[in-house]
Amino acid sequence: MSIRLAIPKPTMQKTGGRPVLGTLAVIGYVVMIVPILFVVAAAFSGGDSLQFPPENFSLKWFGAAVSYKPFMSALASSAQLAVLATLLALVIGVPAALALQRSNFAGKGWVQGLFLSPLIVPELVVGLALYQQLIAGLGTSTFTALLVGHTALLIPYAVRVTGAALSLADPFVEEAARGLGAGPFKVFTSVTLPLLRPGIVSAALLSFVTSFNNVPLSLLLQGRNFSTLPVSMLDYVQKSYDPMIAAMSTLILAATIVFAFIAERAVGFATIFGGINK
Amino acid sequence: MTIAAQLRDVSQVFGDFTAVDGINLDIESSKLTTLLGPSGCGKTTTLRMLAGYAQPTSGSILINGKDATRLPPEKRNLGMVFQSYALFPHMTVADNVGYGLKLRKVPAPERRKRVAEALDMVGLGHLADRRPKALSGGQQQRVALARAIAIRPDILLLDEPLSNLDARLRLQMRAEIRRIQQETGLTVVLVTHDQEEALEMSDVMVLMRSGHIMQQGTPQDVFERPANRFVAEFMGYENFFATSEHPQATVRPENLQLLERGATLNSGAHNLPAVITQIAYRGVDVMVRATATDASGTAVDLLAAVRADSGLASGIRLEPGSEITAAIRPADLVPLAN
Repeated sequence: MSIRLAIPKPTMQKTGGRPVLGTLAVIGYVVMIVPILFVVAAAFSGGDSLQFPPENFSLKWFGAAVSYKPFMSALASSAQLAVLATLLALVIGVPAALALQRSNFAGKGWVQGLFLSPLIVPELVVGLALYQQLIAGLGTSTFTALLVGHTALLIPYAVRVTGAALSLADPFVEEAARGLGAGPFKVFTSVTLPLLRPGIVSAALLSFVTSFNNVPLSLLLQGRNFSTLPVSMLDYVQKSYDPMIAAMSTLILAATIVFAFIAERAVGFATIFGGINK
Repeated sequence: MTIAAQLRDVSQVFGDFTAVDGINLDIESSKLTTLLGPSGCGKTTTLRMLAGYAQPTSGSILINGKDATRLPPEKRNLGMVFQSYALFPHMTVADNVGYGLKLRKVPAPERRKRVAEALDMVGLGHLADRRPKALSGGQQQRVALARAIAIRPDILLLDEPLSNLDARLRLQMRAEIRRIQQETGLTVVLVTHDQEEALEMSDVMVLMRSGHIMQQGTPQDVFERPANRFVAEFMGYENFFATSEHPQATVRPENLQLLERGATLNSGAHNLPAVITQIAYRGVDVMVRATATDASGTAVDLLAAVRADSGLASGIRLEPGSEITAAIRPADLVPLAN
């Protein structure tokens, strides 16, 4: 006599499942990544025109890019702008994230919407408004207008990413600390801030990259003496079409990957973007 | 009997919802007191007011005889264990346990000694350098307990501490918390919705409902003499009926006697004519459901747990439709207030 157990047959889902989704994902990655690879390859060209495959291998265009004055002064401007805008966005965004995560107040949803609205309003509109009000209206400098615009652009990242880090923490840890004898300030420095730290690091990195790579705002608000690196590169492409622009792009790409890698290690993209969806 | 804490006419009102409605409660020193009740009964709010995380809307709270009503939690010296444990994820187990001692400026050597003592008490001395994330739920719970005990609190407050553990671990932790409480002589207030947990662990049980205290006493008091129908139901009684003297009374299923129709127990017993509706064999006993007519003439559902062989002994047929007498000895009858 044999014993037969009703074991359900394994379904095909596990091994062969979701062919359509998989194919689409691969196509998506190919569409995004392959053009970038062409640019990177072109950067190593020894020839004089931007083409693929590159004519023999050379690093000369990297040398040309880093010694090209307009690029380097624009790089300094971009870095300065990105650092300051990131700092301002954190100063405004981190307390906002704390308030939104840790307390309930009237109009909370409205405030949350306000802090995230720069993600939705087209940057060209923001840029135009800032140009009209600040530069044309108040006569402020290009840099001030850019700083205001970039800060506004970065605040949603600061609020969301630090908020995401905080939302993962047990909401009772602060109460636990108080129960053990910590006053409100001690609770903040010994518990809340350490919990926020990875979120702040990620928010700073993401904000920096976002500001650094921004074109629409910077394009509208640039001045005669001040332009950011992407805008300066755009200008360059309109005049000449040689591998130097590919070399500069490749350098920026490399730096961005390093930044993203650090952000991923500090908090993790799942946390960052999971937080945005929450 | 010394009193560790007193709640006097304490109320907590949230908008138009009264979570706690003027309760008076004395917490005895070196005893384990349980606040028991269904969700929304005000037990957790009461605990949070005692801890200082919530301010009473009215009334006062005394700890060690001193008014603590407006004292913030950090000035109360109470150890709280949260349902979610609330460990500091960025600190090691030892640093979690030592956190309160550091704030009390206990010098480092003494601090290390007391951290080690607290961890040994919960059997986690070997995990002192781990991060909470690397521990199982049961181990995290022990760390939370050690952290609360290490500060030598005047009262240890436990908010549903076992509800996130699996059944086996829960039984183990009940015994362990009880052992620690008895060894240290700590005053403990435990919040739970689990009557079995409360019966097993408490010196004093406080049963709450809708912000009021329904009954307070030892587990035996509450279980054997429930004050009213709510308490009886919460303690697992299922038989409710009227007798000639009491408009509402109850009896435990194992104390309900099933006899042949027409037979009666000795004098003073309550005999209700009944018809068996359902039989369920459970190994040790048989659960018998029956409908009976009580002294007020109302039809009531009764539940009896009888030894599997006693049906034969008393000459009744244990099957649906069988006409019997359900009898209750006077000693087994539990009268209830309305």
